[in-house]
Amino acid sequence: MGVAALFAGAGCKKILDQPVQGSYTPGNFFTSDANAQQAVNEAYKFLSFNAGANNAIWVLGDLASDDAIKGGGSIGDQQDFQAVSQFNILTSNSAVEAVWKNYYNGVFACNVVLDGLTGNNKVSPSMQASGIAQAKFLRAYYYFILTTCYGNIPLHLKVETAKEAQTPARPQDSVFAQIEQDCMGAAAALPATAPSLGMATKGAALALLAKTYLFHSDLANHYQLAAQTAEQVEGMGYQLTHLYSDNFSAATKDNTEEIFTVNHLSGTLGIGNELNVWFAPRPPAPTNGYGFFLPTQNLVDNYESAPGGEADPRLDYSIARAGHSYFDLPYDPTWSSTGYNTKKMVQPLSEVPAATKNVGTVNYEALRLGEILLIDAEALNESGQPAAALIPLNKVRARARNSYQYDNSLAGYPSVPAGLLPDVTTTDQTQLRDIIRRERRSELALEFHRFFDIIRYGKAYANSVLQPIAPNFNYDTNKWFPIPQSERDANPNLFK
Amino acid sequence: MKLSISILLLTFLQVSAKVHSQERLTLTEKGISWERFFDLLEKKSNYTFLYKNDVLPHKQKIDVSVVDQTIPQILETVLKNTPLAYQLLAGNLIVVTSRQAPMSEIRVTGKVTSAAGDPLAGASVKIRGTQLGTTTDNDGNFALTVPEEATLVFSFVGYQPQEVAVGGRTTVSVVLQPQAGSINEVVVIGYGTAKKKDLTGSVSTIGAKDVNGLPVGGTAQIMQGKAAGVAVTQVTGAPGDGVSVIIRGQSSFGSSAPLYVIDGIPTSDGINEIAPDDVESISVLKDAASASIYGARAANGVVLITTRKGSMGKPRLSFNGYTGTQTPAHLIAMANARQYFNAYNTAAANDFVAGGSGNRAPLPTGMLDTLPDVNWQKQVLKNAFIGNAQLSIGGGNENTRYIVSADYFNQKGMILNSSYDRFNLHTAITSTLNKMFKVGTNMNLAYSKTRQVGSSGDGYSAPGGSNPGASIVRYALFRTPVTPVKYSSGPYAGQYVDLPDAVGGANVFGDGLNPVALAANTNRNFYNYTLLGDVFLEVTPVKNLTLKTDLGTNFIITDYKQFFPTWGIQRIQNSPNALAQSNTTDFTYNWTNTANYHLVVGKHDITALVGTEIIKNDVKLISASNSGYPDQTSTFQYLSNGTSLTPGVGGNESTWALSSLFSRVSYQYDGRYLASFNFRRDGSSRLDPTDQWGNFYSGSVGWRIDKENFMQNIRAVSLLKLRGSLGQLGDQNALSNYGYASLVGSNGYYAFGNTPVITSTIYAKGNPNLKWQTSTMADVGLDLGLFNGAFNLSVDYYNKRTTNLLQAPQDPSSAGSVASPAFENNGKIVNRGFEFEAGYRQTINKDWSWEVNANVTTIHNEVLALLNNQPIAAGRVDNNTFATSTAVGHPVGAFYMLQADGIFQTPKEVFVHAYQGPGIRPGDIKFRDVNGDGVIDQTDRVYAGSPIPDLTYALTGHVTFKNFDLNLFFQGVRGDKIYNQVGMDIEGFYRPFNMTEKVATKSWHGQGTSNSVPLLSWTDATNNKQMSTRFLESGDYLKLKNIQLGYNLGSRTLTRLMIKSMRIYASVQNVFTITKYSGLDPEMTTSANAASANEGPKALNIDWGTYPAARTFTIGANINF
Repeated sequence: MGVAALFAGAGCKKILDQPVQGSYTPGNFFTSDANAQQAVNEAYKFLSFNAGANNAIWVLGDLASDDAIKGGGSIGDQQDFQAVSQFNILTSNSAVEAVWKNYYNGVFACNVVLDGLTGNNKVSPSMQASGIAQAKFLRAYYYFILTTCYGNIPLHLKVETAKEAQTPARPQDSVFAQIEQDCMGAAAALPATAPSLGMATKGAALALLAKTYLFHSDLANHYQLAAQTAEQVEGMGYQLTHLYSDNFSAATKDNTEEIFTVNHLSGTLGIGNELNVWFAPRPPAPTNGYGFFLPTQNLVDNYESAPGGEADPRLDYSIARAGHSYFDLPYDPTWSSTGYNTKKMVQPLSEVPAATKNVGTVNYEALRLGEILLIDAEALNESGQPAAALIPLNKVRARARNSYQYDNSLAGYPSVPAGLLPDVTTTDQTQLRDIIRRERRSELALEFHRFFDIIRYGKAYANSVLQPIAPNFNYDTNKWFPIPQSERDANPNLFK
Repeated sequence: MKLSISILLLTFLQVSAKVHSQERLTLTEKGISWERFFDLLEKKSNYTFLYKNDVLPHKQKIDVSVVDQTIPQILETVLKNTPLAYQLLAGNLIVVTSRQAPMSEIRVTGKVTSAAGDPLAGASVKIRGTQLGTTTDNDGNFALTVPEEATLVFSFVGYQPQEVAVGGRTTVSVVLQPQAGSINEVVVIGYGTAKKKDLTGSVSTIGAKDVNGLPVGGTAQIMQGKAAGVAVTQVTGAPGDGVSVIIRGQSSFGSSAPLYVIDGIPTSDGINEIAPDDVESISVLKDAASASIYGARAANGVVLITTRKGSMGKPRLSFNGYTGTQTPAHLIAMANARQYFNAYNTAAANDFVAGGSGNRAPLPTGMLDTLPDVNWQKQVLKNAFIGNAQLSIGGGNENTRYIVSADYFNQKGMILNSSYDRFNLHTAITSTLNKMFKVGTNMNLAYSKTRQVGSSGDGYSAPGGSNPGASIVRYALFRTPVTPVKYSSGPYAGQYVDLPDAVGGANVFGDGLNPVALAANTNRNFYNYTLLGDVFLEVTPVKNLTLKTDLGTNFIITDYKQFFPTWGIQRIQNSPNALAQSNTTDFTYNWTNTANYHLVVGKHDITALVGTEIIKNDVKLISASNSGYPDQTSTFQYLSNGTSLTPGVGGNESTWALSSLFSRVSYQYDGRYLASFNFRRDGSSRLDPTDQWGNFYSGSVGWRIDKENFMQNIRAVSLLKLRGSLGQLGDQNALSNYGYASLVGSNGYYAFGNTPVITSTIYAKGNPNLKWQTSTMADVGLDLGLFNGAFNLSVDYYNKRTTNLLQAPQDPSSAGSVASPAFENNGKIVNRGFEFEAGYRQTINKDWSWEVNANVTTIHNEVLALLNNQPIAAGRVDNNTFATSTAVGHPVGAFYMLQADGIFQTPKEVFVHAYQGPGIRPGDIKFRDVNGDGVIDQTDRVYAGSPIPDLTYALTGHVTFKNFDLNLFFQGVRGDKIYNQVGMDIEGFYRPFNMTEKVATKSWHGQGTSNSVPLLSWTDATNNKQMSTRFLESGDYLKLKNIQLGYNLGSRTLTRLMIKSMRIYASVQNVFTITKYSGLDPEMTTSANAASANEGPKALNIDWGTYPAARTFTIGANINF
């Protein structure tokens, strides 16, 4: 009996077969289209502004620029954000860490999809193709933000072990090249129209490609490629909205100008826009926000006005100022130390009440036709075709001034004030360059792009703009944010 | 054994010879009693007289006058014409009887066994007062003809002698208990037993007598101070809270808890559900040779617990019980209202800046009279009840032995709403069916209820269920004395307050919750239902071969229920109110089969063991929550009564299994040369299915020097043994169930259009190459016994190197931080040191005896390697501030912080010192500029000490005088440091908290006034309270843990009460503590912060104001009926 028992025990290898309970493993997850779709959904998740301090691209994109200052409760409130605007940036800076982690999390989620759908799986061919294309587009989007923020960065193209993940930072040139390759791959397989608002499309992939070319200065003919690609997008049926402000309103989030939008919804699932509470004025303002992200006088001054004094309508669509309304409230300039508050990414209390103020429903228009037209204009001008550049440029200006024809709340509606935002006619490349830069600043104000534009415009421009407000600014060391400490600590090969 | 038999035989022959020596006496006495007469004969001869007291004609006096006669001749003369007759029996026994009722002799048979159930061959069985008797045969049996009234004395070398009155019985069997420290003591080892003298490994044993009457809730706690190398720390003083047991040092970054095996059943939590009174013995297997038979689970040592078994004889009923009260052992001297008030005004003056906007107005003098003066420690720590009662019945005969017992333990907490109740039922039955088969069972059933309040930590990131939240004691320490416990009137009359809304506001009255109210509003309950038991069948097909199959289970159901009531001013706490419940069933079974063969060939003695084992564990969890209870009363605290539209649900299941083969061969030559070899092959489901197996080997040798010829003349040495062992052990516990696999699951939501969608990804990365972390341990030991075992000493040197440490390395953050990183086998830790155990016992005379036992352990713990040799920060005390750094060349969890260097006394000192930041002035704490760069910053941090004591020691003393016995138990540690985080709260002066009396009255107020307490200032607190050695204190302590005085009641009184024996005692637990530590208790330094709790040994000895251990006064009784 004992001997039998011994053999019974020894033969009991079967008991060691204890499968994972309650979770999939990568090996058995990609067995259905529904599962694959969930992994693709995750790849989108890191676009969201559901946590304003995690997705801190607004700090790096605009607080580091001449467009906005930190605000908040006091100097000490989010001290690290202040440090960004003063270029007093440690590798442990929380905004620098947050953006890095958030967008690399996005890269990871994309790589999970790409690994899963390119390896052995039981997903339908159409879902495979669609999932791969979406993941490639999103990975390109995330890498674009990462390399414009941090320059030379590690490139992870699959889910890696800790050892494999200890890879050196790659030159920005090769990061851009990877982004372009992913965009082209995605554009080939993505549908022209989004099956649902917020999903990646061919237009989105091409728009991102155009923008990447614009930034990819190591590529010899990058301006030509940028212009060509932008025009390809322009030809896809997108239309500027009549009202510029439709791009920043929850009610009109699904519009003709939107090419790629970061979608937010109300509710308790953590998919709302938290910047709504971060950017709203602090008490005593009834808006009950945190009061961050205050537009500067310098930005306000960038907006043109008509000889009669009427301002570029985009100013009041973007920025609350004395004598004007803050949505449904009269604006009180004491709510802000600059006298201004942003109106982008925030909503009136009538739309999102105080109790759920951190769950805004307004979208972030990550790529919209307005920007593509300006990419086209800039690329054409820089590649020596200033005359051609005027066409897309003037489309943007026309839409802005024509707000007067559509917005009955503007004084003088429906006639456009004389001399407001007239068509640009100069074909002097240098003059036009300055005009396009100014136009881009007005059109895309407070949409988290400004700092990257400043850097792209070069050292002279950057110094002239930033040194007066941040004497610490040094183009060579500050053109990119430092790779965060969490990466340095765990990646001994980073600078090899 | 043969030797001892021959010695006994020799003695016996000599005795027999005397029977025939015709001793002659001369005796002349007048008017003596019969008793006196027999007494005299006994004293003057070698004869023993046996008679019943009532046979003697007591009133009669006799005259004796004999000259040079033999005893029989004397008796013939004197007893003539009396009612008395006598009979000379074998030996020198003379039985005196009445002539009317002649004395009867009966034949008694029986068996002598050890506590472990083994027959004792060659044990001596004698009639009390005579040399008459016999010895047991090879099976422990004896047969003897004795007078009906005789009392038998059973004895055997190494065992406590036992006396049994025959009382007319024909069968008398006894179980002999080993003498403490005796070399013949039988020790429970892995899958068997061994004689202590034959051990070649390092095993410490703890017996039932160490348990008696200690007013502690858990079995693990009774191990404290009883064995060298076993560090037992009560983690908090909260009733029912866990106890940390670490054997030979921290050798893991996770838990270093040992493997517990209770009656052969492996268990992790079962130890908490065994009543201390049900424990018969505990063996701690410390070295590789002893432990490696448990293979992949043995790296942290193994604790074998044997529960009580029945012993042969009539049913015996016994009662053990005590009752007592717990009081706070120590309170920190805090400022009273006046001191607080004055300190406030001093700080306001110190911080006054002409024209500044941040000035605080001094408090008006009259205000003090309007304020209460509350000692919050006294408000939360109240006297509390503790009690225990156990009733057991045991007995048996040759074939069957049984015990059943019931035990109830109840400990109220000193803090309201904390308590622990436990009810245990214990049964053990063994039955020998015939020569071949033996069956048995051990069963332990337990129910316990633990009510918890926040006992440690600041509640940071407290995850529901596992962390009771912020420490009540911490709040009690920093709550200002000028806040009332309750408002006597007003809209919140009768309700507890959190923040008073009065003049001065929070600046004066402080913030934080009212600790009394917080405790009163805590309703957190754990109900545990435990079954731990086994059944076994033992077969002896041929002599010396034993086959055993054992099926065991440990089944624990944990029911958690917590209600979070809405309370507080404006009812801001827990709004909305909520109920959380969960139910965990943790089911483990094991099936163990062993074959044991014992072979003796000449001087060679071989014992071989082979075995197989399978173990499976399955944990299921169901959880639910609801909120919005319109009625908060307890009769409505059910899930169905909540009104949430989205009540919470949760549930999961997780399993692991182990399949093993093991073997041990022990060899002895001539009892002098000893060797043992162990092997275990383990397969674990926790490893990647393609490679689940590992082998563990160990070996040990021993040399009984005292058995050598050259030692035979050294009489004083009864034992001298040198032993050494080497082997490998694995740590299965550090592996998670599925760590080899990456796990994919849902991870939140995104939205397309107006539709939320579920998102899934890899949330935990796996590593298919994971292996057990492995400890390689060497041990060299010496055992010395002197003066027949009166003095015993064991010395061990151990060196334990743990490699392939499981570490979850920080992935580069670019690899994504959504998924938890995969574990890796990396890093190395060494633990080495000496262990001493010594004991001495002496019986001075029949009234006085004493015994003292001491043990000392030294430990050197050092990290030898880490992944990328990257230090690991742990022990969060503030955002991005960690108190410890685990780094190569330092102990695990070494403190790492700025070095405080006294106080700036003059402006010049500030000026010439390294820059510490703006606004530094005389009176502020000075920090050492370690790197000499002229700036004090985080790069000036130093490794400032270890949470692991270099030295732990304990001493127990035992004195008996007549019927009194006195027991003392001292325990202490040296060389560790404690980061007094709550000291930072109450001495850092950074928020309107109460402060220690020292800070309030002895702060710096001018050059030379203090070099340790900075000036009172809120604005300077940023500098003064930052994490530094200012709050790092020595953790050395010596405690008189227990003092107990007992009294054995005389038998006369008891016989009338049908009581065989009764001992009553009074005891004090935690009598005093000698320490320089300024916190409440240097032993209770746990942090329940979520981070710290997961960081294991990387974040020890950080004191957030932990629930202190009580001083406990008890009285109790042990009664045998």
